[in-house]
Amino acid sequence: MTINKRELMALGLATAASGWAPTALAQKAAAKAAAPAEDIVFGASMPLTGVFSFAGIAIDAGIKDYLTILHEGGGVKGRKVKYVVEDTGYKVDQSMAVFKRITSANKVNLYYADSTGFVKTVNPELERNGNILMTGASFAKEISNADKYPLQFMVGPDYSEMVAILLRYIAQTKPGAKVALVYSDTEFGRDPVDAARAGIKALKLELATEIVTAPGSIDVTAEIVKLRRADPDFTIFHGYVSAPIPEFINQARSLGLKSQFMGTFWTMDNATVMKMGPAADGFLGVMPYRYYYDTEGKSPMLERIRKMRPDYQQTGYMQGFLAAMLLTEAARRALEAGNELNGKNLKIALSSIRNFDTGGIIGVPLSIKGNSIPIGRIYKADFKAQKMLPASDWIDLNK
Amino acid sequence: MRIGSAKQSYAADAALFDSVTQQRWALAGGGLLLLFPFVASEYWLYLACLVAINIASTMGLNILTGYTGLVSLGQAAFMGLGAYTTAILQLRYGTPMLLNLLGGGIVAMAAGVLVGLPSLRVKGLYLAIATIAAGVIAHFVFSHFSQLTGGTAGLSVPPAMIFGQQLDTSFRLYWVIVPITGLLLLGAANLFRTRIGRAFIAIRDRDISAEVLGIPLLRYKLLSFAISSFYAGVAGGLFAYFFRAVTPESFPLLMSIFFLAAVIVGGMGTVLGSVLGAVFMTLVPELLKLVVSALPLSGNATLILSPVRTIVFGALIVLFLIFEPLGLAEMWRRTRRTFHLWPFRT
Repeated sequence: MTINKRELMALGLATAASGWAPTALAQKAAAKAAAPAEDIVFGASMPLTGVFSFAGIAIDAGIKDYLTILHEGGGVKGRKVKYVVEDTGYKVDQSMAVFKRITSANKVNLYYADSTGFVKTVNPELERNGNILMTGASFAKEISNADKYPLQFMVGPDYSEMVAILLRYIAQTKPGAKVALVYSDTEFGRDPVDAARAGIKALKLELATEIVTAPGSIDVTAEIVKLRRADPDFTIFHGYVSAPIPEFINQARSLGLKSQFMGTFWTMDNATVMKMGPAADGFLGVMPYRYYYDTEGKSPMLERIRKMRPDYQQTGYMQGFLAAMLLTEAARRALEAGNELNGKNLKIALSSIRNFDTGGIIGVPLSIKGNSIPIGRIYKADFKAQKMLPASDWIDLNK
Repeated sequence: MRIGSAKQSYAADAALFDSVTQQRWALAGGGLLLLFPFVASEYWLYLACLVAINIASTMGLNILTGYTGLVSLGQAAFMGLGAYTTAILQLRYGTPMLLNLLGGGIVAMAAGVLVGLPSLRVKGLYLAIATIAAGVIAHFVFSHFSQLTGGTAGLSVPPAMIFGQQLDTSFRLYWVIVPITGLLLLGAANLFRTRIGRAFIAIRDRDISAEVLGIPLLRYKLLSFAISSFYAGVAGGLFAYFFRAVTPESFPLLMSIFFLAAVIVGGMGTVLGSVLGAVFMTLVPELLKLVVSALPLSGNATLILSPVRTIVFGALIVLFLIFEPLGLAEMWRRTRRTFHLWPFRT
């Protein structure tokens, strides 16, 4: 028997269609069998492909490693945590589909969200569901509003607080300094701008200039001229991961600009900064967590991580690790208080955290008061050592 | 032609359903759509609503690109205009959902007419590039007219109310989204039984000849843009009610490419192609995900297979373009023809 191309395609399509119904049924059956009532289900819409996959893969690894450590210690009050993760490609509609799929098949209590867009979209659904406490990769200022996002929190300072930490450092280092803001014309880039302007004024600094660019690799020649004219002491970049920061720094240095360049969390991974090249030596930025290779003080969790993974782990890994730690800590506290695991009780339990020791992931004990944890530290790039080294003590905006 | 269904009048020849069998199948399909929400999980209902919204927008683009031959990469921008208009009407004035959707469609339609003006001078890739400008301008408007649009943070949309019911679940939204999409499809199918629809097709096949035949190109090209954008605007309005959050980044250029791909994969110039294309483009990535998750793999399998899944999806699109340039609709027609002639063809 021979088969032509068209028949082959039709056969393929029919096979795919016939696979749909049994797969859906099998999925339901598998979910029932695989999630005994006593398991706590931790879902995640994770960008394992797409533009944000570099972070998604690291965050996923961090969550998995913390849960491994947790299970070795007996789980959450003897209950296991079942981690259900699916790829979203960093697209809001797919993140929602993943959320619906995971919550349809499991009674989910803890969830990791991959983007600001998804966090905003899922919020009404989260409140309707009522069983879930959510955190994620977004540090958008809006999410730190606990009235609007009562069942969410972020694992670190929001973007405005990150810039506030940088500004506090600037005010301490050089009072009255001239500060330039360079940000991308995106929701991510514009997020902390109003707060940054207010912070500059409040700390009696001077706003030298504001430069808005497209994200990604672009020609920054015109912007560099503007920056050179303003001649700021400090230049804060926000709304980028890497490009066009290296272009800015290289061109600025070649023009003899002495400005001190700074970045926020998603720029601050060791590998990202080192890829900027030798001109980025001395690049400063705010980090809510310690780097993989930090050895100062007592840090049992970092030591454990280094033992589990001998190679360098990104800052996203630390974020995922701490997210899993805080979500499961909230579950532990809720269960200890004899409360049912639901979003409200989990959030109350999370908010009861005071002087919590993260095992060295954050260098100071943390207390949770709102939806954000406004603690960070300034790190400086040492190109020779190929490391980010501490340039300040931990700065807690609540103090 | 189906055996035993000879047409005896022009009306019968132009009928939407050309045989009793087809009517029965359509009824059965409608019945399944009615039953579906009662048997499907929240996940499948979510996907059904998403597919319906994508079908509405793909149909709009198919009217413009498939039927009139005007390539556009501005569909996402028109959807954005519809979504923002609907969200603003809902938030500021609390007007009824259906009126807001209509408003979204009309605003998008007006923008479509403006964007369509260059179509008189340029065609093909040149027009596609011109329509990209619509996306750029729309993004600028969405992010900078903060008082109206909420700036880069966008707008959060409250759930719509119909007959005192809050439409806050996929189950409830299904009963609005799917019928509206059905109406839009019916409208499109009927459009091509009229003089206007035939004029669009004439312009696509040869615009100079169409003009010689007495079809005013300006009027009909702009009309095509207007109808297409109206569909996108309504789809955008449904998007706003469905996702309940509208931001400037909700409607990227990639979304326009998605709809263009749906039109090509489904079949240009067919209503069925719009449906099949949107279903394919929305559901195949999900089905691939289900297949991967059903595989007896453990550990980091999800991590390793995620990029493979994306590659398979890309490869499927390329295969369709190579082996079936007329799209899924042609495959469907061929399958139907096989049954029409049965048992005389083996």
